[in-house]
Amino acid sequence: MNIWQRMSSIDRHYVYLLVAATVIFPLIVPAHFPIGISPEARQLYEAVDSLPEGSVVLLTFDMYANNLAETEPIARAALYHLFRKNLKVVTVTTIPFGGPSIAERITRELAAKYHKTYGVDYVNLGYKPNYVSVLKGMGSSIESIYPTDNSSTPLAQLPLMQTVKNYADMKFIYVVADNGIVDYWISIVQAQYGIRVGCGVTSVMAPKLYAYVGSGQMTGLLGGMKGAAEYELLVGKEGLAVTGMGIQSLVHLLIIALIFIGNLGFFMEKRRAARAKS
Amino acid sequence: MKRTVPLILAFISGIVMVIAFFCREGSLAENLSQEFLIWSSIIGGFSLLLGCASIVRVQWKHVSQQKSGWGFSVVTLAAVLISGLPGVFAVSWSPLFGRGTGSIYDWIFVYISTPMSGTMFGILAFYIASAAYRAFRARSAEATLLLITASLVMLWRIPMGEAFLGTISSHLVDFVNTYIMLGINLAVQRGIIIGAALGAASMSLRILLGIERTYMGRG
Repeated sequence: MNIWQRMSSIDRHYVYLLVAATVIFPLIVPAHFPIGISPEARQLYEAVDSLPEGSVVLLTFDMYANNLAETEPIARAALYHLFRKNLKVVTVTTIPFGGPSIAERITRELAAKYHKTYGVDYVNLGYKPNYVSVLKGMGSSIESIYPTDNSSTPLAQLPLMQTVKNYADMKFIYVVADNGIVDYWISIVQAQYGIRVGCGVTSVMAPKLYAYVGSGQMTGLLGGMKGAAEYELLVGKEGLAVTGMGIQSLVHLLIIALIFIGNLGFFMEKRRAARAKS
Repeated sequence: MKRTVPLILAFISGIVMVIAFFCREGSLAENLSQEFLIWSSIIGGFSLLLGCASIVRVQWKHVSQQKSGWGFSVVTLAAVLISGLPGVFAVSWSPLFGRGTGSIYDWIFVYISTPMSGTMFGILAFYIASAAYRAFRARSAEATLLLITASLVMLWRIPMGEAFLGTISSHLVDFVNTYIMLGINLAVQRGIIIGAALGAASMSLRILLGIERTYMGRG
């Protein structure tokens, strides 16, 4: 086997070893690189930042556990921004296993840090089945869909929910998701009730959602860990995403290098074979 | 009877939702549609219960008949009961019940489900790297185009790549964002979304008119 053949057929175990080394190395030697802010991330930041103090924002935790590396930093940066701006936060989830727990853990943790009171500054409504009905029903009456919050407290006992009856009482919807629910937030809620919707989603979902940004139905978009890192920088609170960008950078570069090496070997071998034939 | 009643129910509930869209808040159609949405959410809850009952019944059958791999069924049954029951029990009985922070349900999610799901998902990175290396070969013009675009987008999504693209041309980063993501990608995605929406609208109409009956378990 000549060098070109070797280059185009590296054993997959060596590839796995290289990926492992590329993931572990930045954890031992952290490296920070300048992160550019995309227009979509800036649009989302400015939309939230321009809301008057005390406005109500619906923050969704439509996420499963497997994508937390991408979605949790977005949710944390978003919540930090909302609390810092003294906005009122109502959280919901359309994911039965995980969504309510993630929302509860992150909101309670950040609320304690920024001295926010449950029921006054924020409320966690939790999960209700059949998301299409939930999204549509909340447009008329949140209380009819969610008679109680995630801890089974009747909404009538929560001061914040006395002023928030439906989408008309909200100024913005901040969707953090890792699944196709985003389409429903746009087609059911944004299109029918006219409320502005901004999104933070996983990298693989982002390309599809550019269509909504382009049509003006979506006010800002964060794509994956890069989007989360951009938002962390915009709100001035560097966290998991900025750290994670070092790892992601090296893995992306490794994949590009592997593709290049594979193609170089493929072409050179093809040329050598053609020469030998002639 | 078995066929006519579901058809009538689907037609009435569908038509009410359509009419309510054009009615004012507080109107009869709007109130009726809200009532239907509450019912729908309740039915969704019962379908979850039905799912739980079904998984228990199937797995229990495997265990009782000691079919091949019945040990996995024991694990599944244990997982359903251990994670499900404490989450359903009232928190007033014990702080370990319910779904709040510190409950068994939350503990299982944070310390078992999250690391396991994260690990499963993380393993994908290894397969993606290996698959990209073996599959991304410039064998044709289309494959070359895909390869170049994928490499540009991968570079664009990382800070080091952004800096690298900037050294080639100061406009290259904007080019990727404007022409690839907000240009070609947007146009294609928009086509897919519009196509899917038209498909969904025609399917809804077929269900409303009783032409589409597969939801009843028959053609």
